[in-house]
Amino acid sequence: MKKLDRHEPLADNAARIVRVRLKEMRSFGPGALEPQRTGAQHDMRIAAKRLRYVLESTEFCLGRSAATARRRARDLQDLLGELHDCDVMLPRVEGHLAELREADAVAVRERAGEASDLDPRLAARASHRTSYRGLEMLIVYLQARRGLLFDRFREFWVEQERAGTWDRLERAVARRLRAARERRRAAKRAEQARHELEAAEREKSDAALRAASAAADLQAARRTVRGGIPRPGG
Amino acid sequence: MAKARPISGLSAEEPYATAAAKIVAVRAREVADHSHRVLDVSDIERVHNMRVATRRLRAALEVFEPCYPRREFKAALAEVKAIADALGERRDRDVTIAALEDFAEGMRAPDRPGVSSLIEKLRAEQTEANAELEPFVRSERLAALSERLSELVISAQALAGSEA
Repeated sequence: MKKLDRHEPLADNAARIVRVRLKEMRSFGPGALEPQRTGAQHDMRIAAKRLRYVLESTEFCLGRSAATARRRARDLQDLLGELHDCDVMLPRVEGHLAELREADAVAVRERAGEASDLDPRLAARASHRTSYRGLEMLIVYLQARRGLLFDRFREFWVEQERAGTWDRLERAVARRLRAARERRRAAKRAEQARHELEAAEREKSDAALRAASAAADLQAARRTVRGGIPRPGG
Repeated sequence: MAKARPISGLSAEEPYATAAAKIVAVRAREVADHSHRVLDVSDIERVHNMRVATRRLRAALEVFEPCYPRREFKAALAEVKAIADALGERRDRDVTIAALEDFAEGMRAPDRPGVSSLIEKLRAEQTEANAELEPFVRSERLAALSERLSELVISAQALAGSEA
């Protein structure tokens, strides 16, 4: 996070962080809405998580729209998390199935020994034969569940965009940052005015000194004029 | 999932460093409070709650980075990340096992062996992940982290005091 300023109040820095996190999350929108873009969906989940955790500690600085956005970011994170679980589990199940198949193939081959061809009954007695069906069912379930979760995710995203959840948060952030900018400008103007005032006071004080000195000179000159020119030996 | 604890006495106009001290102190306490019996695999919510607490703490540290001395901040953040990673490894197995058990319950008994063999494999990984998590949640290690975080809080408070 850049542009954080420890001399500024919590709310100004919170607004800066939320702006970055929100922009980051929304940037994954177009890609994540394509079903096969699992990477973009994963990135959006991480971004939603970051936004959510920042808002958990700072939402009170940004008003009601921040509390709503925090809840929606949590829902989005949960939904994408379940989608991600399917993406992680599918290759695991497929890998496990492949391992069992491979182990059975090796064992069946060994049982065939020196036979000129493989007896199909050996394969029918393969030790993992009862495992395949359940694992295939699990793969079907995970693929179908992923499809369903993806549809829910797409609907959810479209609904939040339509409801203006993120736009309202963006506006709240922009208001806070605008106020902070105006405050900074006012502080800068006040500082400049203070400098000018100090310079004017110094000028005034210098002028007073010069006036006092000129007055003293004037008085001395008048005394000289009134006293006339002293006579020699007088 | 445990809710984030509210931070009392925090205001929007609070100096950044004061807010950093208050928030990190609460988030650090949450991690410590959720560390009890996380190695017990019969209640997987414990690991989940501690993991979420570490995420909240990590977010708080990152948000307030400019308020801490650089070296101490990096060391504390690295430790929190290491704990979170170890918790994550356990949590991944917990979640997958729970999902597979749910799925298996809905199957006919003759269809279960394949899923059961996968659960068995995951149980072994869960045990391994638990063993790897153990050193990270030892009370002395968590106490050292707590000490480190307290020092960060004190630094932030001192910074806030010097800028007041």
